Formats: sequence, C-alpha cells, structure tokens
Amino acid sequence: MELFTPEFGLVFWMFVAFLCLYCILAKWAWPFIIRSMEERADLIDKGVAYAQESKAQLDNAKAQAESLLAEARQQQADILRDAAKMRNQIIEDARGEAVVEAKKVSDAALVSIEQAKKESEKQIRREVGEIALQIAEKVLRKNVSSDQAQRELVDKYLNEVETKN
Amino acid sequence: MKKAITAIIALVLIALAAYGYMRAAQHHHGTTEVNPKEIIYEHLGDAYGWEIPFAHDVRIPLPIIAKADDGWHCFMSCRVTGGETYEGLRINHGEQYNGKLVQVHADGSVSRPLDLSITKNVAAIVVCALLVIAMVFSVRNWYRKHGMKAPRRGTALLELVVDYVYTDTIRPILGKHSPKYAPYLLTVFFFILTMNLMGLMVIFPGGANLTGNLAVTMVLAVITFFVINLSGTREYWKEILWPDVPLGLKCPVPMMPFIEILGMFTKPVALMVRLFANMMGGHMVVLVLMLLIFIFSGMFGAAVGGATTVFSLAFALFMLALDTLVSFIQAYVFTILSTIFISMALVEPHGHEA
Repeated sequence: MELFTPEFGLVFWMFVAFLCLYCILAKWAWPFIIRSMEERADLIDKGVAYAQESKAQLDNAKAQAESLLAEARQQQADILRDAAKMRNQIIEDARGEAVVEAKKVSDAALVSIEQAKKESEKQIRREVGEIALQIAEKVLRKNVSSDQAQRELVDKYLNEVETKN
Repeated sequence: MKKAITAIIALVLIALAAYGYMRAAQHHHGTTEVNPKEIIYEHLGDAYGWEIPFAHDVRIPLPIIAKADDGWHCFMSCRVTGGETYEGLRINHGEQYNGKLVQVHADGSVSRPLDLSITKNVAAIVVCALLVIAMVFSVRNWYRKHGMKAPRRGTALLELVVDYVYTDTIRPILGKHSPKYAPYLLTVFFFILTMNLMGLMVIFPGGANLTGNLAVTMVLAVITFFVINLSGTREYWKEILWPDVPLGLKCPVPMMPFIEILGMFTKPVALMVRLFANMMGGHMVVLVLMLLIFIFSGMFGAAVGGATTVFSLAFALFMLALDTLVSFIQAYVFTILSTIFISMALVEPHGHEA
C-alpha cells in the first residue's frame, strides 16, 4: 500500500520545502503582517476613542458656550440696569444741584436786594434828614443853638417814624 | 427565473454528458477493462511526470534524481515513463515497488535506489509553497505600500483569514507567546490549506493528492512534535516524568509517566492521521463515484452507465463542495490543535492544589 508507506524522497523534499517556506515567511512576511495588523487595530481603536472623546468635548464646549452666553446676557442686563440707575442718579443729582444753585442765586439776589434796600433807606434817611434839617433850620432858625443838638433831635424823631412804620 | 434557466442548462449539460458517455461506451464496447483499485491508487498516489488533462499518456516530464549503486543519476522522467530502462533504472510494475523507480541489476533482480526525484507530488509541493509565498507576500506588500489602509479584494480575503487564524485563534490561546509561534502556525495553516485546495483541482497545477499522502502529513506532524517538545517548560517535563499522582502509580512501575510519554507521541500522530484520512477519504469518494459509471456500464451496459453519469456527477459535485469546506476545516483543525498542544507545553508551575 503505497499510500501508507511514506516515500523517503517525498518526506525529504516536503521537509526541505516546508523549512524554506517557513524561513522565508517567518523572516520577511509574518512578523511584518502581524505587526501591521496590530498597529492598524490599535489605530482604529485609538480613532474610535478619539472620536468619542472629541464628541464629548464638543458637547462640553457647547454647554460651556451656552453657559457663557447666559452669563453674558446676565451681565448685559446688569450693566443696562446699572446704567439706568446711574442715569437716574445723575439726573437726580443734577436736579438737586440746580435747585441748590438756584437757591444760592436767589439768596444772593435777596441779599443784594436787601443791601440795596438798606442802602437806599440810609440814603433816603440821610436825604430826608437833610431836607428836614433844612426845613427845620428855615422854620426854627433862632431856636436852634447848636448844630449837634439839632441832628440828635431829628434822628430821634426819624427813629420814632421808622418804628411806627 | 434565472435559477430555473441555470437549472435547465445544468440538466441539459448532464444529459449531454450521459448521452455522450453512452455513445462512446457503445463505440468502444469491450475494448477497455476497468480496474478500479489500480485507477484509484494511480490517482491518489505519486508519479514520475505530471499528467495533463484529457490526455492520459501525455505527461509533463519531471527530473528524476536517484542514487543507485553506481552513483547519482539525473535525467528527465520522459526517458523512463514509457517503460524503458535508462542508465540501469526503470519504473517497476508488479508486486514489489509498483510504479517506483528501481535499479535493474545484471542478474535481472531489482532494488530501490535512493530516490530523490522531483515527482508529481514534490513538484506540487513546490507549486503550493510558491503560491503560499505569493499570497502572503501580496498581503505584506499591501501593508508596505498602503500602510494603514484596509486591503481590497483578494488581499482582503487573505487578510481576513490571517486575522481569523492569528487574532481569533492563536492569540487567545498562546497569549504573550503568540508572536514567537505565530509564524510557524500561520505557515502551517496556509500551506495545508493551499495543498488541500490545490489537491481538489483536477487539472495541471493542482490534482496532486498531497495532504492525502502520509509522507506529507507526517513531516508536518513531526515538525509540530519538535516544536511542542522543544518549547516544553520545566513544568511540562515534570508533569510527564513525575506527574502529580499517588506514588504507587509512578514509583515501582512508572505507569503514569509511561502513559504521559505515550501521549507525547499520540498527539502528533492524531494530527497526522486526521488530516491524511480526511483528505484522502474525500478524494477517494469522488474517484469511486466516477468509477461507478464505468463499473455499472461494464456490468449492465452503456445505457445504465449513462444514467449513472447523472447521479455520479451530482454526488461528486456535492462531495467536491464538501471537500472544499473540509479543506479549510482540516487546515484550521491542524493549526488550532498544534496551538493548543504548544500552549500545553508552555505550562507554568501552578499553585499546589490542596
């Protein structure tokens, strides 16, 4: 039975062929193929991880942007409110200051009016005194001994007139 | 519709084959005697020279290399395949050394020289080895050229198989040792697969029944045997020579060590016989189915032979399809079992069971 009795020549050549095949493939092909396949598997794994991570980051960034936007809106509203408040304050202040200023002006005016009034009163009094003296001099030329006594008398009378008024 | 047309065409072809056979058999009636056993062994066995399709007597000559008593002889096989004696060598026919190259002595007796001829099987081994190299290097070159891009077409198929064998089989079993043993196991897998599939192809570059030849599977099994035992750890040898069994089983009569040592040899022998028997069986079934045509036609006439053609072709086609599956399965089984045996030899000392 030829099939069951291994032929030496065939065994020999099979051995040689297999060893050659093994040496060639083990040296130049298999390690490279296995390494490449593993590298690619790693690359794909990394790619998937990276994609997931970047998606998470993107989601995160969106949330962050939204929160920033909300914050900015809040700030804007605050600023607007502050501005309105400040405006009102300024208007209020300006109004107060204007009132004070006006009061000052009117007070000054009153003071000057008062002064002018006093001045004019003095003037009038003096002139009235002069006129009265002249009149009295003319009326009572003989009775009046000294100038001084005459003036005191007139003043006394004038004071009486003033207090009556 | 398409399926129906295909079926009709197939039926017509088979019917034509049956009719053609019947006519031919009627024509040559009684001129050929069929010897099934001889035909089967001729097809399963080795030969000097490679038969080309449809021409039984035309063979591609192959070199004969033999060392006879008077030294080395080296010539093309076409000088002896016709039955001639060349340089004292001829192909013997008869009980002893049937179909083998023999040296003819002066007294007419014959003896077998040291025969290292490139026979049909050896040539087929070389063809298969070259094919494996071409396939594997196509994958390698793809990676070299295209880097990380996924391969396409045939290369993708090969890569799928490499990935299946390496990532899904070798790595889970061998773990950190896998880079060391993967080249051997992958080479074995692809070599066996190629030899199996090439054996199924009937015409020229294929047609040699390689893995169905005990010599071929024996070489593979012996190499696996050495790989297993040369990578055995101290623990592996301890488990063989001084296993963890009651002292009575190993001390006066080394019964367990004997069984373990026997186990060392039965593992590769099982690998060898499994692959051989599966592949040879597949080939033989197809051959027998084909021969049934001739046997029946010889027994019952050409018409019955013609009818048998239909059934034989259908069953042979089915068997060949099955053998294609078996080719892959057997290559895979050889590889995975070798992997498991290697992993068993790489056993590390485990904690002592209480």
